[in-house]
Amino acid sequence: MLCQICGKREATFHFKEVINDKIRELHLCEECARKKGFLSESFFIPSFSLSSLIGGFTGEAEIPFSIASQVQCPHCGLTYEQIREKGKIGCSFCYQTFKDYLVPLLERIHGHTRHLGKAPRGLKMSEKEKEIHKLRKELEDAVKQEEYEKAAVLRDKIRKLEKEKSE
Amino acid sequence: MNLKEMVSSPGYWLRGDGPEAMIVFSSRIRLARNLKEFVFPPWAQSSLLKSVAEKLLKAVKKAVYFKNAYYIEIGKLSPLERDFLLERHLISQEFNKGGEERFLVVEKKEILSLMINEEDHLRLQTIFSGLQLRETWDLINKVDDALEENIDYAFSSQWGYLTACPTNTGTGLRASCMLHLPALVISGKINELLKEISKLGLVARGLYGEGTEAQGDFFQISNQVTLGLTEPQIVDNVERIVREVVNQERRMREILLKRNRVQMEDEVGRAYGILTHAHLMNTRTAMNLLSRLRLGVDLNLLPKIETALLNELLFLVAPAHIQIREGKTLAPLFRDELRAKILREKLNESSKR
Repeated sequence: MLCQICGKREATFHFKEVINDKIRELHLCEECARKKGFLSESFFIPSFSLSSLIGGFTGEAEIPFSIASQVQCPHCGLTYEQIREKGKIGCSFCYQTFKDYLVPLLERIHGHTRHLGKAPRGLKMSEKEKEIHKLRKELEDAVKQEEYEKAAVLRDKIRKLEKEKSE
Repeated sequence: MNLKEMVSSPGYWLRGDGPEAMIVFSSRIRLARNLKEFVFPPWAQSSLLKSVAEKLLKAVKKAVYFKNAYYIEIGKLSPLERDFLLERHLISQEFNKGGEERFLVVEKKEILSLMINEEDHLRLQTIFSGLQLRETWDLINKVDDALEENIDYAFSSQWGYLTACPTNTGTGLRASCMLHLPALVISGKINELLKEISKLGLVARGLYGEGTEAQGDFFQISNQVTLGLTEPQIVDNVERIVREVVNQERRMREILLKRNRVQMEDEVGRAYGILTHAHLMNTRTAMNLLSRLRLGVDLNLLPKIETALLNELLFLVAPAHIQIREGKTLAPLFRDELRAKILREKLNESSKR
């Protein structure tokens, strides 16, 4: 079996994860497994000290130090390097700024990257509309990429938002 | 406010009137929320925390749920007073460190409380007696809605409620139950069970939450995942698994009683004897003996004692509770003496009823 990430080397590491009754399997070559942080201790021992989780996930190989320390959140001014060290995110704008680092991290912690729970009732319409717009774009992309499961989730999300909007 | 008053009036959730209250002490849910425009507390300067606190306190005072509440400034408390609130599950380990611009608001029944400027700007909590997480969710959901009318929360429709720690992102919801599992501990089944639980996305801890050791066979079970599930899904999941743990504990109690009746009678009888006659008692011993006492009462091997008293005793014997009750700090030996006295008096009083 070939590695699911690079698709080139033989997969020698096999991971199985059970979160909320859902089983996820990953087959990786050693190099990709190490890059993704699966061989670091924090993956095997769920210590949940977040600094180790963040650190464990984004090994230096993946994020060049210079980038992590240069890009600053426009709102709070922190760099991802600082956030990683402390294990605490700076402000709500950091989520957007450091999306590329945080989304994989959220995926690893929760096994999901999309919120399905409640939303503030007072969420402003314009924001909702913006969101719908964004989702539509993602939906288009998903269809282009033939990711139909993802597309179905997006479609439902858009329908839900539209329904909320018309209420 | 007077903390001493709180000693003699235990929180409503300790009354032991919820379902399965002998095994499941409490159902607790907390929500993590942040204000949109403000830097999260771990990075914020004191002036900013001050405006956050002002904004939140104003919103809280408007909400009908906190009409009858204590407003407590954490920075003004002594370490002993903070320990007391920690023992009562009203503040977290993080809050126990003290700090400026931090507030605890707790309504008098202690069912509803909130912390301002903990790791997140707002941590809302509800605790109910017994296993009733769904009811707990219904209440906290309403309170959250009420507060939200006057607060602009940090929220994204992709990631949900945005929190300082990515382990809370999404719903910001942690649902937990406190359980008493002596039979599973005695039979050695507990480790296996806790391992199973962690595979289901849940986590088990000691009585006082994160990083604490389990004492006197008391455990806390809570959800790990906060993103990608709806709140009712998370809550149902925890409730379902806790119910299964309760069933296993019950089955194990029956087995122990069938196979080792005399040993069990001896064990709980000794615990009762020591609790009602000792004159010195440290916290750890008290917790262990109270655990045995609770088991003995539940299995009808001991005289009937009200669940509310069994619950209350676990708190009355905690170090800060003893000292607040006396109104001063005390050396460990004095505490041990007082602890033994409280136990003797309360249990003898109960046996006369």
